[in-house]
Amino acid sequence: MISITNLSKFYESNQVLNAVNLEFGKGAVHGIVGENGAGKTTLFRCIAGLETYEGQISSDFDKLKNHLGLLPTDPFFFAKITGKEYIQLLVNSRQLKLKNTEDRNVFDLPLDQYVSTYSTGMKKKLALTAILLQENEVFILDEPFNGVDLQSNFVLVEIIKKLRGLDKTVIISSHIFSTLADTCDKIHLMKNGEMVKVAEQKDFGDLETEMKDFTIGNRIEKLGLK
Amino acid sequence: MLNRRILEFGMPPVIGYLVVLLVFGATTGYLFSITEYAGYLCVIVALGYTSRLSEPKRNDFLKSIFNQRRYLTIRLLENLLCSLPFLIVLLYHGALTESLLLIVGVMLGGLFQINTNFNTTIPTPFGRKPFEYVIGFRTTFFIFPFAYLITAIAISTGNFNLGIASIALIALVCMSYYSKTENEYFVWNFALSPKRFLLVKIKSCLLNFTFLSIPNMLALSFFFPSNSPIVALSFLVCCIYLATIVLAKYSAFPNKLGLAQEILVGISFVMPLILVATIPLFYSQSVTKLKAILE
Repeated sequence: MISITNLSKFYESNQVLNAVNLEFGKGAVHGIVGENGAGKTTLFRCIAGLETYEGQISSDFDKLKNHLGLLPTDPFFFAKITGKEYIQLLVNSRQLKLKNTEDRNVFDLPLDQYVSTYSTGMKKKLALTAILLQENEVFILDEPFNGVDLQSNFVLVEIIKKLRGLDKTVIISSHIFSTLADTCDKIHLMKNGEMVKVAEQKDFGDLETEMKDFTIGNRIEKLGLK
Repeated sequence: MLNRRILEFGMPPVIGYLVVLLVFGATTGYLFSITEYAGYLCVIVALGYTSRLSEPKRNDFLKSIFNQRRYLTIRLLENLLCSLPFLIVLLYHGALTESLLLIVGVMLGGLFQINTNFNTTIPTPFGRKPFEYVIGFRTTFFIFPFAYLITAIAISTGNFNLGIASIALIALVCMSYYSKTENEYFVWNFALSPKRFLLVKIKSCLLNFTFLSIPNMLALSFFFPSNSPIVALSFLVCCIYLATIVLAKYSAFPNKLGLAQEILVGISFVMPLILVATIPLFYSQSVTKLKAILE
C-alpha cells in the first residue's frame, strides 16, 4: 500500500502538484490520466523519491524506491551497451543474480546488440523487461504502450494482469484510454496538478465520455476546416 | 561552451582561462620532468582530444551548412587551434619529432571523419558488471594492445620506466571512463546506502583496472625482479588516483564535474600529497550528493 497525503510540488514559483491525496493498494492496477503537463510524471518522480516535495508519501516498505520498478516515458540508454548488459546493470543494482535471460526475453529482443540500434518501441520493451527482472513489488509505468507494436501491447496487457495476480501494485499513465480500461481497477484523472476524479471499472465508460466532451468541446469547429 | 562552464562556476572567463593555462602548464611540465616519453603522451592526448571533433553527426551538420572548401578550412583550423596548446608545449620542450607528428595527425584528422559508432558489438570481459568499463573498453580497446606493446618494448630495451609508463597509460584510460556523469536513473536504481554504493563503484573500478594491468605488472616483475616493489607501488598509486576520480565524479552528482573539482584533481596529479585532503573531501561531498537520491 502506498499512501500519498497533501502532496505538493513547486518548481520555483510554479506549482506542479497541488495537495494530491491518493492511495494505491496491493494487487491493484491504477491508471493516471491527464493532459500533457497535468503533473503525472512529476507525481511519479515524487513517489520514486527523485524529486523533493511537500506532503507525505508512505508505504509498507522501509525504502519504497528499493522495491519500485520505474519505467520512464523516455528511458535513457548508454551508447555502446547491449540489451543484455542493460538488464544486467539494473538487476545488479538490486543485488540480484540474473538467470535465464534468454528464456525471460518475452519480447524477443536482440539482447546481444547495442541498444542504440533498437527502435523506440524495442527500447521501451527492454526497459520494461529490466524492471520486471528486478523482482519489484511496485511498478510505475509511465506511458508503457507508447511506440510499442500491437503484438507487444497484447503481451504487455497480460503482464500487467499477471502483476496484479501476484499482488503487486501497478501504477500506469497512458494517453490511450482503451489500454487503461483493459488493465486498470481504478482510473484517476489529473488536471493542473490536482486529482479531480477517480473512477471505478464500472464507470470507465462515463469517465471517457466526460473526458472527450470536456477536452474536445468546440475545438474542432474553431479550426474552421473546409 | 568553455566560457559557459567557467561562468557557471562563478568565475570570470579571463581568470578561468588563466587557471586552466596554469594547470595545463604545470601538468605538462611535470610530465616532461618525470618521463622522456612525455612528448608522445602529449601527442596521444591531443589527437584523442581533437578526434572528438571528427564525430560524424557534427561533421554532417557542418557539411550541410558550408561548402566543401569552407568545411575543410574550418575542420583544419579547429583541429590546429585545439592542438595549439600541446604544440606550444612540445616546441617549448624541443620535441620537434613529436610536434611534426602532432601537426600531421591533426591535419589528417581534419580531412577524415572518424566514425566511432560501429554497430558491431565489441566483446568485453566486463559484461557481468556494467557499465563504466563495458562502455569505456569498447571506446578505447585499441589502447590496450598498444600498452602491452610498450611493456614488451620496455622489457626488450631494458627500460623499466617505460614499462611503468604503460601501467600509467592504462590507469589514465580507466580514469577517462569516469569522466561522464550517468543519468540519475541508474544511481537511483541501486538499493544501497551512499557509502556502500561508493564502495561497490570503487571496488569494481579497481578490480577491472587490475585485470587490465596485470599482464604489464607480471611481465615487469618477472623481467625486473629487483624493481618489483616499484611495480607494486606504481599500481597502488594508480589505484589511489582511480579511487579519487570515482569519488570526484559523485562529489558533483547529478551534475558533471565542476571546475573546482577538476582543478583539485589536476593539482592532486602534480602534488600527490594533497590527496590526503582531497580524498576525504570528495568522499564527504559524494555521500551528501548521493544521500539525496539513494535515501
